[in-house]
Amino acid sequence: MNVSDIMIRNIFTAEPDMAIGDALELMKKKHFRHMPVTDSSGTMIGIISDRDLKEASPSIFEGNHKDYMNRPISDVMVTNVITALPMDFAEDAANIMVENDLSCLPVENEEGDLVGIITETDLLKTFVKLTGAANPSSRLEVEVPNESGMLCDVSVLIKEHRMNVQSVLLYPSSEKPDCKILVFRLSTMDMRPLIETLKKQGYNVIWPRELGITL
Amino acid sequence: MTGNAVYIYSNEQLQYKFHDDHPFNQQRLSMTNDLLTETGALNKAEMIPARKATVQELMLIHDEDYIQAVINASEGQVKSSYRTAYGIGTDDTPAFPEMHDAASWLVGGTLEAVDQVFEHGYDHALNLGGGLHHGFRGKASGFCIYNDSSIAIEYMKKKYGARVLYVDTDAHHGDGVQWAFYNDPDVCTLSFHESGRFLFPGTGHVNERGHGDGYGYSFNVPYEAFSEDESMLTLYKAALREVTEYFKPDIILTQNGADSHYYDPLTHLCGTINLYHEIPKLAHELAHEYCDGKWIAVGGGGYDIWRVVPRAWSLLWLVMSEQTGMINGFLPENWVNKWRAASPVNLPGYWHDPQGIYPEIPRRNEIEKKNERTLLNALKPIYQKNKKHVF
Repeated sequence: MNVSDIMIRNIFTAEPDMAIGDALELMKKKHFRHMPVTDSSGTMIGIISDRDLKEASPSIFEGNHKDYMNRPISDVMVTNVITALPMDFAEDAANIMVENDLSCLPVENEEGDLVGIITETDLLKTFVKLTGAANPSSRLEVEVPNESGMLCDVSVLIKEHRMNVQSVLLYPSSEKPDCKILVFRLSTMDMRPLIETLKKQGYNVIWPRELGITL
Repeated sequence: MTGNAVYIYSNEQLQYKFHDDHPFNQQRLSMTNDLLTETGALNKAEMIPARKATVQELMLIHDEDYIQAVINASEGQVKSSYRTAYGIGTDDTPAFPEMHDAASWLVGGTLEAVDQVFEHGYDHALNLGGGLHHGFRGKASGFCIYNDSSIAIEYMKKKYGARVLYVDTDAHHGDGVQWAFYNDPDVCTLSFHESGRFLFPGTGHVNERGHGDGYGYSFNVPYEAFSEDESMLTLYKAALREVTEYFKPDIILTQNGADSHYYDPLTHLCGTINLYHEIPKLAHELAHEYCDGKWIAVGGGGYDIWRVVPRAWSLLWLVMSEQTGMINGFLPENWVNKWRAASPVNLPGYWHDPQGIYPEIPRRNEIEKKNERTLLNALKPIYQKNKKHVF
């Protein structure tokens, strides 16, 4: 999954001489928290966030508050903006955002044109999609030995029960270093026949589980 | 009929049957009818028959190509592409002969309920064959083919200009109805269900609040797995009252899935029969308080058809028709004797469950605490609108 798959393409930009007060108002109205700033040729020269603008603002009780709101955003915008390329992997973009403590990342193509933007919200939506919870499905969690072939073995049983897999997650068990956890979302409302097969074959089904076992 | 309520049922509704081993089993309708008759709370001659919804009516919600696929599947022409395109031919919703007709009769029952209330002056109407809340516009899902509730809501909007509050207490999220009206400010959906982290269909998170003009008109109250009566009812009563007061509907449509019971094989909640006595009580009360009595109730899920569904749905009718005085502890002996031989489990002898049908819940306090937080979170748009500072 690339940045171009998840980025927002329809971007609102601001011009550098826009007043800070107007920019805040526009962002509030449109529910944005960031706006790239572009010059007349469309090249990105900076970015503003509602938080930065508000933090730089003098108290409303001070005389110069009104002056501040009339100043151009070019006075307070962040320059040297960190950007992503459309071909970057989504997880790399997420990494850049975490490392640099960013909540949004503009996307530029190889010519330096602004072509999109990704925000924390987009990444979270992508996460929801990757975990498969956006489609009607049931969650299956199985603990397996940390060995080659386990995902395949469990998948074969799922296939034999003619269930369609919406998503798969695989991660090391936090409790047992020699185990991994497989999490599937399966397009079925009734997993009982599959659970029965898994148990019969000795798999440790972590979810769904019976009452009485310590959660 | 009894007081101001009508009971809708036709034998054709029993034809909605995927196969013998499928968990969705309409024998629960026969068992409920029988229990009510033996109790003396329902006279078979007085039941109002359902009708078969027309294709035109189905198209109030469903896509034409989907309906055509269901019709084809009914005639044995199931293409393998139907599985992914239309959700037909999967293990959840396999094709069966006459499936289009059978599904249309369930929809027609709910439409008949609407007409009984709007045209024939009844306050309340019950169609236990309805409540197929997972049906999507163009796709079958979770045992549901046509979504009777979505169709009935659209029908009420178009025909009677009604603002409808849809309340779903099935253990599964009422996704089909929610998404059908997600952008619509004149239909408010409120679903209580086991959290999607634990149960199908996975949606129904508190932050699904509607979109565009419909923002603030979808409410979701997901319960933690292993939640019990007290916690679930606290959330139900608080949320239903707040949402009704906030939306001020013309009519309340309740979906009464009976699968939050501890005995239900598909879910992980710890309800008892008491839940199904309390849930309709409040709906009844609020319908009189806000909607001039207008209340339609449908069935839904419920997969322990022996020990749970007949009692749960009978209680719904007893509350609706104001006959709860007939509950005297014991179930009618005739009913127990009639069904005992066929039942794979011991049939209950009482209307209500005794104490201790399930083991002690580990982490009970944590579950209750989490549920309380969910409630506040779910109602946030209302609190914000009313400027109630609870946070």
